[in-house]
Amino acid sequence: MPHSTFKRTGTLLKLELRHDWLKIVLWLTGLVGLMAAAAAKFGGIYGTQKEMATIATTLKTPAMVSLLGPFTAKPPYTTALIYGSEMMVFMGLFTVMMNIHLAIHATRSQEESGLTELMLARSVGRQAPLLAAMLELVIVNGLGGVLEALGLQAAQMPGATAAGNWLFGLGLAAFGLMFGSFSLLFAQLASTSRGALMLSYGFLGLVFIARMGTDVQNPDLTWWTIFGWIEKMELYTNNTWWPVLLMLAGALLGGACAVALAARRDLGAGLIAPKPGRKRASAFLRGPLSLLARVNRTSTIVWLLGLVLLGASYGSIFGTVGDLVKTNPVLGKLLGGAAVAAANRAVVLAMANKLAVIFVVVATIPAVMMILSLNRDEQKGLLTLMQAKPIGRLRLALTSAGYGLVVGSAAFIAAIWGMAAAGQQSMTITITLARFMRSFVGYWPALLVVCGLAMLLAGLLPKWQSAIWIVPVYGVVSLYMGPLIGLPKWALKLSPYGWVNKVPVAAVNWGTFGWMTALGVVLLAVGLWAYRRRDLLMN
Amino acid sequence: MTEVVAIDHLTKRFGKFQALKNITFTIHPGEVFGFIGPNGAGKSTTIRILLGNLKATSGQATIFGQSVWTDAVAIHKRIAYVPGDVDLWPNLTGGEIIDLLLKLSGQKHTARTDELIKKFDLDVAKKARTYSKGNRQKVALVAAFSTDAELYIFDEPTSGLDPLMEEVFQQEVLALKAAGKSILLSSHILSEVERMCDRIGIIRQGESIEVGSLASMRKLSRSTIHVQTKQPLTAIATLAAVHQFKAESNTKAEFTVDSEAVGSVMDQLSSLEIVQLQSTPPTLEDLFLRYYNKEGEADATQHV
Repeated sequence: MPHSTFKRTGTLLKLELRHDWLKIVLWLTGLVGLMAAAAAKFGGIYGTQKEMATIATTLKTPAMVSLLGPFTAKPPYTTALIYGSEMMVFMGLFTVMMNIHLAIHATRSQEESGLTELMLARSVGRQAPLLAAMLELVIVNGLGGVLEALGLQAAQMPGATAAGNWLFGLGLAAFGLMFGSFSLLFAQLASTSRGALMLSYGFLGLVFIARMGTDVQNPDLTWWTIFGWIEKMELYTNNTWWPVLLMLAGALLGGACAVALAARRDLGAGLIAPKPGRKRASAFLRGPLSLLARVNRTSTIVWLLGLVLLGASYGSIFGTVGDLVKTNPVLGKLLGGAAVAAANRAVVLAMANKLAVIFVVVATIPAVMMILSLNRDEQKGLLTLMQAKPIGRLRLALTSAGYGLVVGSAAFIAAIWGMAAAGQQSMTITITLARFMRSFVGYWPALLVVCGLAMLLAGLLPKWQSAIWIVPVYGVVSLYMGPLIGLPKWALKLSPYGWVNKVPVAAVNWGTFGWMTALGVVLLAVGLWAYRRRDLLMN
Repeated sequence: MTEVVAIDHLTKRFGKFQALKNITFTIHPGEVFGFIGPNGAGKSTTIRILLGNLKATSGQATIFGQSVWTDAVAIHKRIAYVPGDVDLWPNLTGGEIIDLLLKLSGQKHTARTDELIKKFDLDVAKKARTYSKGNRQKVALVAAFSTDAELYIFDEPTSGLDPLMEEVFQQEVLALKAAGKSILLSSHILSEVERMCDRIGIIRQGESIEVGSLASMRKLSRSTIHVQTKQPLTAIATLAAVHQFKAESNTKAEFTVDSEAVGSVMDQLSSLEIVQLQSTPPTLEDLFLRYYNKEGEADATQHV
């Protein structure tokens, strides 16, 4: 390989960093802030051995193991130990998300916008943009890792050691870098940024779900899921460093494959060659709605199937979760048959409630993406021809919002259905699908409100529309971590997801349903009105 | 009879930037109107206001007598549009997009559509992401030409086409003209405008600076004259209507004459016994450059 292949990587890297600095600062502030804030808080809430023993029992339940990874520590517990097991998988997930976005943005998105072509016409090596993207990931992850470690050092949790703190920070860095380099690899396979993003998230979803399964069934198998490597560092006990080396090796391998594949493909194309298509449109393709459905066909199918799978993977552990006798034989003898069944039922329903939050937040993603795509497609010029047709702007916007809502709702139903179907297979007690669907009815207005907020931003402040992602991210963080880190009640109510009562444990609160739905509709309407009366975005 | 397009003192401001200062012109029914001006003059902004994509800051703009902002949907039923930068849904084929665009206008794929696909030599089975700029433009052109509309708006539609396709485009525009359709053609290719347009509007820095037929514009301009006479031409050089006088010899010269003074200058020349004479009317390019340079001169004097 001639060395000119990488010429001017440094210049491109500087350009990249200058272009992305705000994004990087926001991500790192969020990640480091979350870690340091939780660490500072943990010392206060898990002070005594008794408190720690209680939370350890919770963390050992299959439901928590499936979400946060196995709790392998032995007493005596320390705050740092509890913190390590609660935060590892969670922080890993967010770090990976940051890396996926940065990686795809630095490669595919720039290629799509024609920037790469412009740069390559200069005295710039052909692989320089890819190498610059890799270096950007190394810098961002490295910086994040160091800041996280320093944050942990500053928090001075009881039981925390410098070795553990640095392992946590740098482990996350290596973990993020590995998935980032996988995304660089996916960016070579797909032919659009959207495709690359979908492949990256698909892969993340797959390994995460696999990790859930192996953690609950047999943690030794977790080694094979890649995502599970982050759990194997044994933070604050043995502090094992070699999973970090494994991750770095994975990062190198991913990066090397990306470089090799990039050398084999044309600019702007993927490795999967496009086939010739239809010469005439089908009768189905006839208006804005069917166009949207056609253009987003693959991604819609992937979302629906993905959520069925996500739901099913959680449902499949219901049998284990809802078997209190197995976890606590004494309790079984004490309670007797009928009471045990009722208790098992309560445990499963409580878990279904927690899961509903996850499902609705994940289902929000495709819905909000559709709404935001209105402005994005417009800026790309995709709607120019459409806007000269006898289709009102209101109709166009309503179509995007409506399609998004339908896909989001369908994805949410798919997840609950998957969970119920798999759950019913694995449980000895019966809980009907209708009972599980209370989650859907209960949380659906939250989906609507977030979609309404997205439309409002898209209509009023199109430049800031991406800020909507704060809502679902905050929603899941606050509702999951909130109770563990002792967030005040009002903080849980900051996102619409926190306004819903405990369905399906409780019955649907129709009052809440009513006013939330009304609020969602009003937000949507104001957003549509604002969109209609402003200038379109032109490039 | 109402005008097809009527624009009156149109202005548009983007924040602090005044994109349009004063645009005024009309398009009569059955007319091909050429819309020219340098890059950044505001042609596309004007067209986007006409399409109801941008809201005018002040002034009036109507198509078929209806407001372009409030009645956009009703107007769009009767127009066809081809943008300069055509972006298509990457995972649809050209054929699918043509059919979709026709359906969105409430029309069908006809034999005429097939004929146009053949004429423009377009492979409609390819996905749009593999198309070059020219091919993407062809998709939009085929869809527009096979749409039965009353007004056709073309915004630099041939910037990516090769000369052969450019010729097909001109044929199709002339066919529409023959069928009595109205056309707004924004273009940088002045020969194209000169050949097809009945009237022309020139804009510069967001202002209409000239609207009229090419003939009437020529009247305001100067013809170039090459002449050889038997007697010396010295007296001619001093005439007020004569400019840019370049003498090749005592009896041979090239100069420009104000169009309204051509007759009187000719009289003077014939008294000097003409040996050879060649008169060239100004081309649109000359007109355009003259308007353009005027601005340059004005700027230059301001800076001094």
